[in-house]
Amino acid sequence: MSFHKNKVFFTISTATLLSLSAITGCGTTTTTTPNTSPVVNSTNQTLNIGLSADPPTLDPAYSSALVDRQVMFNLYNTLFKLSTQNTIVPDLVKSFTVSQNGLTYTLQLHQHVTFQDGTPFNAAAVKFNLTRDMQPASARHSSLSDISSVTTPSEYTVVIQLQKPLSPLPAILAGRAGMMVSPTAVQKEGANYPNDPVGTGPFEFKSRVKGASIQLVRNPHYWRAEPKLEAVTYQIFTDPNVELTNLQSGAVQIVDTVPPQEVSTMEQNSNFTVVNHTGLGYEGIYLNMQQGPFTNPYLRQAVNLAINRQTLVNVALKGVATAAYSPFSSASPVYNQQQDTPPTPNAVKIKQLLAEGGKPQGFQFTLQSPNDPITTQVDQIMQSMLAQYGINMKIEQLDFGTLLANNEAHSFQASFLGWSGRLDPDQDVYSFFYSNGSFNASEFSNVQADQLLNQAREETSMAQRAKTYAAFVHILHQQVPYVFLYHQNNVFAYANTLQGFHYYSDGVIRAYSLSLS
Amino acid sequence: MTYIARRIIMMIPVLFFLSIIVFSLIHLIPGNPAQVILGQDASPSAIRALEVQLGLNQSLPAQYFSWLAGVLHGNLGRSLLDGQPVSQLIVQRLPVTVELAIGTIIVAIVIAFPLGILAAIYRDKWADVATLFVATVGISVPPFWLGMLLLIEFTVKIHLFPSSGYEPIWSHPLQNLSVMTLPIVATGFREAGVLLRMLRGSLLDVLDQEFIRTARSKGISGWKVIFHHAVKNALIPVITTGGLQVAGLLGGIVITETIFSLPGFGSLLVESVFSRDYTTIQGTALVAALAVVLVNLLVDITYGLVDPRMRT
Repeated sequence: MSFHKNKVFFTISTATLLSLSAITGCGTTTTTTPNTSPVVNSTNQTLNIGLSADPPTLDPAYSSALVDRQVMFNLYNTLFKLSTQNTIVPDLVKSFTVSQNGLTYTLQLHQHVTFQDGTPFNAAAVKFNLTRDMQPASARHSSLSDISSVTTPSEYTVVIQLQKPLSPLPAILAGRAGMMVSPTAVQKEGANYPNDPVGTGPFEFKSRVKGASIQLVRNPHYWRAEPKLEAVTYQIFTDPNVELTNLQSGAVQIVDTVPPQEVSTMEQNSNFTVVNHTGLGYEGIYLNMQQGPFTNPYLRQAVNLAINRQTLVNVALKGVATAAYSPFSSASPVYNQQQDTPPTPNAVKIKQLLAEGGKPQGFQFTLQSPNDPITTQVDQIMQSMLAQYGINMKIEQLDFGTLLANNEAHSFQASFLGWSGRLDPDQDVYSFFYSNGSFNASEFSNVQADQLLNQAREETSMAQRAKTYAAFVHILHQQVPYVFLYHQNNVFAYANTLQGFHYYSDGVIRAYSLSLS
Repeated sequence: MTYIARRIIMMIPVLFFLSIIVFSLIHLIPGNPAQVILGQDASPSAIRALEVQLGLNQSLPAQYFSWLAGVLHGNLGRSLLDGQPVSQLIVQRLPVTVELAIGTIIVAIVIAFPLGILAAIYRDKWADVATLFVATVGISVPPFWLGMLLLIEFTVKIHLFPSSGYEPIWSHPLQNLSVMTLPIVATGFREAGVLLRMLRGSLLDVLDQEFIRTARSKGISGWKVIFHHAVKNALIPVITTGGLQVAGLLGGIVITETIFSLPGFGSLLVESVFSRDYTTIQGTALVAALAVVLVNLLVDITYGLVDPRMRT
């Protein structure tokens, strides 16, 4: 491979989550080889995994639900992947280079990889996938909108040209946008593709009963060492208590959620292990800055300061969440402890803000909220917290579809809607707080914030980006377009017969390393 | 026979109007499938593009009539969510709920009939009081609470039944029965309570009537009077109640299905409403309505068998 002289190569072993140090002069290229972990004898074991929702689709181009990823990460490989050390490393990509201006990514792919249907994995397949994901109707469209072209100079080389620098690209390609589906299967199945998905991953799709179960079986031609398990069956339990009962009865060996009130009981049970770590996402409230009381910044600040997050976490969430005051949790590479620690409500300060906002006696607003039991409790606790200062919060419970529709139409005063979090910090803030961003429900618009968000996309050093994001979060604290309440924790419980469990900050159970004793 | 044919023909306008009502209602609720499919990280342009792809940009009458044309050709359309044929989804889910409903009614009859007759015969005696107590408990205890209790007791504490893992009865009969036992008992117990009270009340009315006294004065034995004369005449209101119960069960026993992780018809309907999967909602609602209408027809035919005077 030859490169233009002024191109610089960045080491990718730590990719974007560690700094892609700006190197001057000659660059380096780092490569990865197929997994060299010792080949473990495969077994004829079937692992049963409990899922808290039925994955709506197994097609990464149209997936929007978090739970889809639980299955898809075991069906598909991604171009890059998340490591257990919380860094982004290549997966189907063997090595990559970035031009000095940050606009050209050149990917060298692993050879001798095939899809589960026998289709060869190569540059053409990558181009097919990225082009498909860039279609306007795809759920991946917005995260790839900065790509201007994808070319394939050789069978295993892909060149991605960007309109503007995008340092989160490897992290984006470690998620659903980087999941490679078989072009042959998509062309053959058409609209039916989600019901017979094909990837290059360690397990292949076998069958599905919608609303009940999804069965995957070992991919005998996996390009790395074969997985230890023969099959993985996902069982769907829409009630978390039922899911836990099924873990206790032995019907499943691992569950993707534990009801908050059961966590401490399960922790004391010697037959099970509970994993409870802060996730990458956040829950909170959009305040509509274009209508109603929240056009007034003092009233937004008053609401933001009147809620005691730690009480919410202790009482309603029983420790399965972490109090938040910023978009970036401790799992994020740009976590800033000082900025994410909520201040203790200060009555004097809150009353002063209400007076400055022209509402010394308080005011009224309506919160649109999902209607699940835990959020309902959170709403009611917040309602009583705000009432102490004369702020009367009415709760309007809606089903998720309606809540989402109103959120998109900016048809609300306050809207309780969270975000499941992504591997790169940019994906947690850019579209939400950039002027006219596609998910900017608050209609927040701030020139300085926009500049900082763009700057963070261009910077390659994560340490530098952390500083930029700190300046951005400082603006969020002043302007309060969104009230950050808590970061959801990733909570798993598994039977101690399960071996090889590794925790990943995206909350996905990767079955490749698992086995049963 | 003409009576049944007439009833079947009358079903057509009922189902037609019902499909219009369902179609209008689901389009009245906010939110749209494209947005639910694409989720939070969907730009307005992506939502519009998917709407066009799913045909949601057409006028409502055009959408309805294209769906109706499909139905008349035996095609219920495809799920907006993942392109699966709606008929295939229904075929997967309906047997679960039908089995649950049949099992529930069998359990209800097995419990309600002997106890109901016993309670009527021994009116105001301890047997009657005890039976009524059982019936009241059955009606009062919510099936989801009883279900959860049975689940914890018989799957976690005593490993007698599996806690999930439904398989169709025709492919894995034993596995199927072991999974279905607890949910059938949980719902059957409640329906038994309703049926028991109805049968007891109805029997007491009949037992007070002249013809029963006449039969007894003729020297016909007590049991013969009860089974030959009284029960037959007491059945009409019981069949009515039973029919309503079956219709209700076929509409989906969503909570029971959730607790026992059964991929049933009720759960499908609820899930499709939440995801705004219009074609699946219309297909499942149509089949649910058809099931209720058929059960009503069956009830009417049964009336005729029990009381020939009602066949006119």
